Amino acid sequence: MGSMDIRDLRARVENINALPTIPGVLKRLLGVIENPGVSLNEISNFISNDPALTTKVLKMVNSPIYGFPGRISSVNQAVILLGLNVVKGLLLGVSVFELMQKTMIGLWEHSLGCAIAARLIAEKKGLKEPEEASIDGLLHDIGKVLLILQFPEEYEEAMRDADIGNLSIYGAERAHFGTTHASVGSWMAQKWRFPQKLVDVIEYHHKPHLSKNAPVESAIVHLADILVRARGFGFAGDHTLMAVNPESWQMLDLSEADLRDILGALEESLEMTEELSL
Amino acid sequence: MPKIVPDKLEPGMKLLKPVKNRSGMVLLGEGTELTAELIERVRDMDADSISIQGISPPSTPKEEVLSALDRRFKSIEEEPYMGVIKRVLKEHIEGLYG
Repeated sequence: MGSMDIRDLRARVENINALPTIPGVLKRLLGVIENPGVSLNEISNFISNDPALTTKVLKMVNSPIYGFPGRISSVNQAVILLGLNVVKGLLLGVSVFELMQKTMIGLWEHSLGCAIAARLIAEKKGLKEPEEASIDGLLHDIGKVLLILQFPEEYEEAMRDADIGNLSIYGAERAHFGTTHASVGSWMAQKWRFPQKLVDVIEYHHKPHLSKNAPVESAIVHLADILVRARGFGFAGDHTLMAVNPESWQMLDLSEADLRDILGALEESLEMTEELSL
Repeated sequence: MPKIVPDKLEPGMKLLKPVKNRSGMVLLGEGTELTAELIERVRDMDADSISIQGISPPSTPKEEVLSALDRRFKSIEEEPYMGVIKRVLKEHIEGLYG
């Protein structure tokens, strides 16, 4: 695998839609979100026409992932409240839920945990759109799902190497694929026409100091990732914890009291999400 | 898990989720503090379980959780700020066990 050309790899990942293992609803969704002119109305109809998807979306928006539990009763209301980009991200999140559960046990929990932690940090920092931080957290590891789908055996080997050598999965991916889930995820986020900030967060959540378009958001997801792993919640492909990037930590400038509040709120929300089986 | 059987309810506990009747009507809202009378009403409804705030006696022993924490931080504890994160996290975990 080490010899695979990066362009070839990218082309294969970008063609993920052609894989027979991609669920029909995800296939249709990708068709919708790749359309540059897609309107809120079309997205809303897409969800409403699929009762299972409707249930999942409403469960998510009424969960601790977002700040407003128990108040949203219709897809229209959710779409208006959250806006196009958040809804697109949310749809992608719920549509890969089953894939995540099948491909890497614990990755969904890790992603949910990061979504909540990122929102909590964003709220602490007074960001205007903490729901966007939720989506950043929910989708930051989407590249792992894409790599596993396209290269299941190679990815398994990378995970085994990480496990045996006590390496990060990030490092093991680089050794096996010449790239990482961060880049793979950001290629696809671009293809799916997600906002540049989300593309940046996915690309730089391991190196948040390099982000030009979303330094704060990348730092938030970077720290959320560390806190969720450090707490021992979920599984993201390895058993190593990365050290926080000092620049990002300083930029976020959280006090110990802030950190305590965030961990406390995270704990409560995680308890509630135990029941969030989509 | 924040859910407990109605028999274990005690006055002063707060509802994590609303208690609803079979047709889905909310009888007691989220956050309601339970009194002896309310608990009797809840028991009469023969619900399977009730979600309560804040009671989550963690199922894993504290020592086990803390030693897993030590293992996770072992190789990076000396990195900038990781000591602070670990200390706050440790205090947080100890707090969960009361």
